[in-house]
Amino acid sequence: MPLRREYVFSRQTAVKTTMLLSVVFFFALFSGEASAQKRFSKNYPAGQNVRLRLMNRTGTVTVIGWNKAQINISAELEAPAANIVPQNLSGLIDINLLRDNQDREIGSVNFTIRVPYNAMVDIETRIGNLSVTNISSALVRAHISSEGAITLTNIEATNVAAENTIGDIFFDGEIKEGGTYRFSSSKGSINLRIPFNASFRMMATAPSTRNISLGPFVNPDTNYLGDGRRVLGKVNGGSATITVTNQRGTIAFLGR
Amino acid sequence: MNCSDCKELIGALMDNELEQTQAAAVREHLAFCAECAVVCEDLTSILDACKTGSDEIVPPNSKALWLRINNMIESEVKPAPSLPEPPAPRSWGISILRFSAAVLVIAVISSTVTYFALRNYIQPPTDDFTSRSAATQTTFEKVLSKIGLVETPQQARERRLKEREAAIEYWNARVMTRRSQWDRVTREAFDRNLQVIEESVKDYTTILNQDPEDELSGEMLDAVMNDKMNLLRDFADL
Repeated sequence: MPLRREYVFSRQTAVKTTMLLSVVFFFALFSGEASAQKRFSKNYPAGQNVRLRLMNRTGTVTVIGWNKAQINISAELEAPAANIVPQNLSGLIDINLLRDNQDREIGSVNFTIRVPYNAMVDIETRIGNLSVTNISSALVRAHISSEGAITLTNIEATNVAAENTIGDIFFDGEIKEGGTYRFSSSKGSINLRIPFNASFRMMATAPSTRNISLGPFVNPDTNYLGDGRRVLGKVNGGSATITVTNQRGTIAFLGR
Repeated sequence: MNCSDCKELIGALMDNELEQTQAAAVREHLAFCAECAVVCEDLTSILDACKTGSDEIVPPNSKALWLRINNMIESEVKPAPSLPEPPAPRSWGISILRFSAAVLVIAVISSTVTYFALRNYIQPPTDDFTSRSAATQTTFEKVLSKIGLVETPQQARERRLKEREAAIEYWNARVMTRRSQWDRVTREAFDRNLQVIEESVKDYTTILNQDPEDELSGEMLDAVMNDKMNLLRDFADL
């Protein structure tokens, strides 16, 4: 019997060992894939009126304003890894993955970039989400050639533009006096969260859904035109200009 | 009888062609009018000279006379150089009619220039003729359209669409050559987005076929054609 127990014990041990080795092999396999994802990181000193211009191909881009006179670029590169060659051109940090990877197949690149609060931000991608947070400058532009969501939060810029084809657009920020704000999508929802006391002229067009919600900004100076496909009007005097076009989606103005 | 009548009749008196009453009247006038009397005497002396002289009248000292005539001719042909006179204040010589016409022309030109400048300034570029209908045309624009100086909104839209279609065709050809090099994710994303835009193009085209005056659909069609061109152009780089 003791011998039988020893045999059983050794059998159980063997099974456990096999399972353990399988798990180790499994993790080793995944860690191998993980090692194929590269990382990129670089810092640049930033003076006054610094501008970030980024052209990505596929992937997520997140830009965050911070209280440092420095630009920090970090990226996670999926295989095949793209070349990233930022250029520092007298106040302009220019990253262009299309230029740096011509006629090369590259994987997605997910950027996280920290810039000074007052930096001008001009980012573009062919496919993927764009997010910009905590920026107070003259320009915030986010352009997606095809699909992806655009999220602009805590923005105090005088010129804002957000464009995509498929995907939601969300803006949460100030409307500066005399500023220009343009949001355009073909399919998705566009939501603008702006201060109740914002002063602007608006032209909001949603021809397909005719779903334009002005929320707290309804007033006698706003008019629905073209069977409800467009809203034109002034709010609190009309200092800034807001143009919103959503071909096949909804538009909503929210108070903050 | 006055002097004028008398001078007309003096010649006839010399030739004895007047009636008695007329001749008496002339003589009576010559009796108290010194001026007419002098004329009469001159005429009498000329007639006497003609009657008493030879057939050929030879001027006294004909050589000197010819020299004087020659000098006079030369002096007229070659006027003596004179000092330049100070320029007199220029007289424009513009009549009130000409002045009024000039003011009118200037007013029309400046009004036209101001009109177009203001129109372009007030209206954003996207809100041009392409996105407008005949209903929103001003009378002036309608007149210009009628005489062919300005495109009608429909003509402008058709022209813009043709331009867009030409650009789309170009970029589409480039996309087709590059497409085989894209990965599956890119191909699927491109097709999805192009389909969404094509649906919008189809919708607006249908609406405009039913109602060509729907300016909003015209504007939106222009916008989605632009979106399509941009999508093709962006992906042609990949």
